[in-house]
Amino acid sequence: MMRWALILLALSLPAHAAGVEDVMRGLAAVRESRAVFSETRSIPELDGALPSRGTLSWRAPDRVEKHTTEPVEERLTVEGDTLTLERRGARQVLSLDTAPEVRALVEAIRGTLAGDLPRLSTFYDVRFSETGSEWRLALYPRSVRLASAVQSIVVTGRGTQIATVETQERGGITRMSIEARP
Amino acid sequence: MTRWLPLVATLGLLLGALTLTFRAAPPGGDMADFLPRSDRAEARFLLGELQTGAATTLLLAGIEGAEPGELARLSRAVGDALRTSGNFAFVANGNQDVSEAEREQLFAYRYLLSPLTEPAIFTAPALRTKLEALLDGLGSSAAPLLRQFGFADPPGAFIALARGLIGTSSVTLREGVWFAGGEAGPRALLLARSRANGLDPVGQQTAADTIRAAFAAATPGSARLLLSGPGVFAAEAARAIRGDVEMISILSAVLIAALLLWRTRSFTMLALVGVPLAAGTLAGFLAVVAIFGSVHGAAFGFGMTMLGVAVDYPILLLTQREGTEALAATARRIWPTLRLAALAAIIGMVAMLGAGFSGLQQLAVFAAVGLLVSALVTRYLLPRLAQPFGIAARPLPDAVIALLRAMPCARIGALALIVATAFGLLAMGGPPVERDISALSPVPEAPRRLDAELRAALGAPDVGTFIVLPAADAEAALQASERAARALAPLLADGRLAGLDHPARYVPSATTQRARQAMLPGDATLREALDTARAGLPFRATAFDPFLEGVARSRTLPPLSATDLAPGSALAARIAPLLAPDAAGWHALMLPAGLTDPDALRAALAGETGALVIDLRAELSTLLGDASLRAALAAALGAALVLAMLVIGLGSVRAGLHAALPIAGALLLTIASLALLGERLNLFHLAACLLLAGIALDYSLFLRRLDASTPTAEAARTLAAVLTCMLATLLTFGLLAVCTTPVLRSIGLTVALGVVYAFLLAATLAPRSARTT
Repeated sequence: MMRWALILLALSLPAHAAGVEDVMRGLAAVRESRAVFSETRSIPELDGALPSRGTLSWRAPDRVEKHTTEPVEERLTVEGDTLTLERRGARQVLSLDTAPEVRALVEAIRGTLAGDLPRLSTFYDVRFSETGSEWRLALYPRSVRLASAVQSIVVTGRGTQIATVETQERGGITRMSIEARP
Repeated sequence: MTRWLPLVATLGLLLGALTLTFRAAPPGGDMADFLPRSDRAEARFLLGELQTGAATTLLLAGIEGAEPGELARLSRAVGDALRTSGNFAFVANGNQDVSEAEREQLFAYRYLLSPLTEPAIFTAPALRTKLEALLDGLGSSAAPLLRQFGFADPPGAFIALARGLIGTSSVTLREGVWFAGGEAGPRALLLARSRANGLDPVGQQTAADTIRAAFAAATPGSARLLLSGPGVFAAEAARAIRGDVEMISILSAVLIAALLLWRTRSFTMLALVGVPLAAGTLAGFLAVVAIFGSVHGAAFGFGMTMLGVAVDYPILLLTQREGTEALAATARRIWPTLRLAALAAIIGMVAMLGAGFSGLQQLAVFAAVGLLVSALVTRYLLPRLAQPFGIAARPLPDAVIALLRAMPCARIGALALIVATAFGLLAMGGPPVERDISALSPVPEAPRRLDAELRAALGAPDVGTFIVLPAADAEAALQASERAARALAPLLADGRLAGLDHPARYVPSATTQRARQAMLPGDATLREALDTARAGLPFRATAFDPFLEGVARSRTLPPLSATDLAPGSALAARIAPLLAPDAAGWHALMLPAGLTDPDALRAALAGETGALVIDLRAELSTLLGDASLRAALAAALGAALVLAMLVIGLGSVRAGLHAALPIAGALLLTIASLALLGERLNLFHLAACLLLAGIALDYSLFLRRLDASTPTAEAARTLAAVLTCMLATLLTFGLLAVCTTPVLRSIGLTVALGVVYAFLLAATLAPRSARTT
């Protein structure tokens, strides 16, 4: 009985690995995509949540743009190691190397969009699961310093499409839902 | 075989003694011996900094020639190895330099250290503005960053503090490691400060070797390590000079040997020439050790060059033998002339004792004692050693002798040339003099350029003007730096000054920290202001508790001491070069950037007693000018002494002037030629001129003995002897003139040109003899 269980377990492991690799391969094949998002941020220091909406675009290998249209127009662009934030006429440029916490947050989204599992694994302990056609990536920071700022990031999706990103940070929670746009 | 014994034994004994002496008292390398002294406070400070200042312990490293990832790995490996080596007070190569503990300390001290701290920032209206901005920011993508500090520090004191610490370097971070910005290929940067002070050449060498070893141990593959800094420079300079000198000594030894072989057809001649030289070197070396305790490497090097005159003595003796005359008789015959030449040269050297550098004094003692002993050995010992060998110089071809003996016909032309040159030099306001101290640096061009590149990349550009604030202790120095910064604030505001770095920027004086503590509101006051500020905003009541706690804690913290920071911390690294103890107490350094109006800067600091505003380039030029002037005066005094010596030795003013004329003429023509070649005169040219004068003295004294009554055979011998001396010198110094090291090139060019002029002038201005033959 025990032996059978072990064999079943052994058989199931590659299947699991194949699952995450299939999903990643599918994501990696998408060279360019656009989507609309809506986001709510709740933090313990504030009553109520802060909502926002806008568009997301991705271009392989490393460019992500988050264009918020409401409530305040804002454009966040990450390309290579440079992050640019434009808001209320001000433009801030940040090298990701100077801000490890920001880099980790960026790599969670960018690594997923790029289908780059090794990259994700350098920052996070990655746990993958599938329920029917929906997959789920739970990311837990590897470094203690990062873990004090970000507790977990959970990304869900179907096929090559990311559906939700839920980030838990410093007792707050940010939920983003994403819909593809042709 | 027995005839060889005395010569071989003497030479062996001398060389053995020389080797033992070198072992017992190896030449040292303290460059302070060659730095001039000055009474100006600015110059004194500068010289002190050049020797022991924090800048002298800095090492800059670049790693290039591989992919950025690989370079980052190497930089991290080297950095870790250096930190554990114990040879470095501070190592920085990326963002890991600010440790978690230091960040926490800075955060705890934010209201004591930050320039933002004012009573106004804790009032309800000011807090309201900050809270609204925070709320707006929380809705943006920057929210994660804002949450980190926004609730514990809504006035933004810590952010202001951190921004000040980062500075203005063009360093970019890749994978957590510093990289040089810019278009060129990727280059990882590393900065280290050695524990050994700048005056300790062995310690500096060890520090540089530690970096090289750490790099080699990190399996660098194709990557290269570039290393710079004062310590590396010293080693680099020594290596460059050594390389040049080795090449030159071997080549010139071969050429001189060939010349002497051609003239005398005797290998023994070479050994004989070596005897007075070795004896002179030994005596000079021992004399310097006896007087100064040790010999400076550079004094020894230059001294050896000066002692080159001594090579002429045996040549003059051995090639002037008449037929089968006993060499002792030859020595007796030429001794009055040889003695006068040597004494005059020694007198000239003695004048250098007044030059004011310990290095030049050592050089003078070395050369004077060396020449004296060489001359005595040539007179009393060499004839006995050489007698058995029957060396005789081959006569020069008749045509050459005839030409040389006919030269006095051109004396009017030669005199006219000297006068014209003198007027020419006067008309152009004297020869161009070197004012740029960097041109004197023995460091070759390439490492100097690398240093400038690394410095610029690390945001530590060469300092032009800086301000020194002397004080009794560190606290007083910090207070002075705060007062001066306030005095200069208007210049910063209107752009006459682009930036100002000073120690109180990083750690304010305890007085200022206590004053800031006194500005902090009490718990109840702050809570009330905060409640008013947050009215109508969606912040929860407990949201700003970390802020209230932080301010409460700040009120009771003991002031952070600038001299008590954790070694190796980023703050200590920033403040160490700007605040340091010195002989008189402490001093703070202020470094202005982008200064456009130095007069306004001086005027603004007029109230700060004791403040020194130092314009580095101008100060160094003045220093150099003063030193050159003093050396020139010493040389002029030497010239006067030599002339007096000649007048006494030759028995009449007329004869003395006549003997001095070719020497003065040769110096004049040489200086004019150097000016025509675009050379700017510096201290090394001057030293070379002293040597040249010594050599020219020999030529003049020996050739002026020829006159109408001199038999042709003797005249031919003397001319041949002096010509051989001149060619030997030319072969040595002509080679030096093609060196890359500025020092050697200056000396080589001066002496090579000079000996040719000296010989031609001495032959031309000799008493008329051509008509009678």
